[in-house]
Amino acid sequence: MQQDNPPEAGARDQDIVELLRGGALEAAFERLIDRYERKVYRLCCSLLRDPDQAEDAAQESLVRVWKALAKYDQRASLSTWIYTITRNRCLTAIERRRDLDSLSDPAVEHEAEAAQAVGPQAEQDHLAVLRELVEALPERFRRVLTLFYYEERSVTEVAQMLGLPEGTVKTNLHRARAALGERLRVLGLADPQFWLEKAE
Amino acid sequence: MSTPADPQADGPFETALDGALARCLVPPGLPQDFRQQLRAAIARSPSTDRARLRAALEQEHAQQLAELQTGYVRLRQRTLGGLIGGAFAAGLLITFSLPWITAHFGRDAVFALPAIGSIVGLALSTRSWWQRSALARLLP
Repeated sequence: MQQDNPPEAGARDQDIVELLRGGALEAAFERLIDRYERKVYRLCCSLLRDPDQAEDAAQESLVRVWKALAKYDQRASLSTWIYTITRNRCLTAIERRRDLDSLSDPAVEHEAEAAQAVGPQAEQDHLAVLRELVEALPERFRRVLTLFYYEERSVTEVAQMLGLPEGTVKTNLHRARAALGERLRVLGLADPQFWLEKAE
Repeated sequence: MSTPADPQADGPFETALDGALARCLVPPGLPQDFRQQLRAAIARSPSTDRARLRAALEQEHAQQLAELQTGYVRLRQRTLGGLIGGAFAAGLLITFSLPWITAHFGRDAVFALPAIGSIVGLALSTRSWWQRSALARLLP
């Protein structure tokens, strides 16, 4: 289950770096987007919580990566460099969004809907309840938790994506799951059989 | 202490929750036309335009340099050919005209030959200068 350090990841990054060293900028970028476009999009989705904004942010991030690729100096690993560019772009988008009326903020609306939906009416769809509970978690827990499952439960990948130490990611994951468990117990949904059998 | 990085170490509820979360938190799929839109965005980006402009200017500059180089080599070849041809023609002329000059000028042939050569040289230079100046007047 745990994939803290996928062995092929380093080798593939190394291929891209080798191409960059050889001056094959376009070939390197082709491989880079093959490898990172999904991850960048997932990171944007996790940070922005809006698919349209995430798509724009992912594209802008990759355009920035393309523009800066010739200047990549390998001081940071390729993945860290790409995730930093993406994170900064998303943080700028979040800042811009905060400047707008919070009532028209899709993330806030979504959060409000999620908070309201957690009740007896929504219990018929168990996965929907769980999803809404995840959405209602504090931001730092929700980001870590969603990326953890998006990235096939790789703590290392999540730590790189969010620019956090692995220990912090593990702690936040543990707390997120504890908070979810607590809320499920309050709702009377803490029976393991309930999730094993009905949450398909 | 159990951690979420090792969900199997937790109790049955945590294990079940881990499975449910894995089913619930499905990674978002990349939009279908993401790659095309990315390429379009890259093509539109100002730095790409600058890069393309720079590449075009560099190519144009390289072509101009190549043309200048070709013209310079051609000019050197023509100059060299002119000098060799001129020297050869002068040698021939002297060879054939020397008996006639000696017969007409006698001992003064020694002075007559350089004088005739200077007159011919001046005539050719004047003609060349006249042609170039006439050409220069035609140019805008």
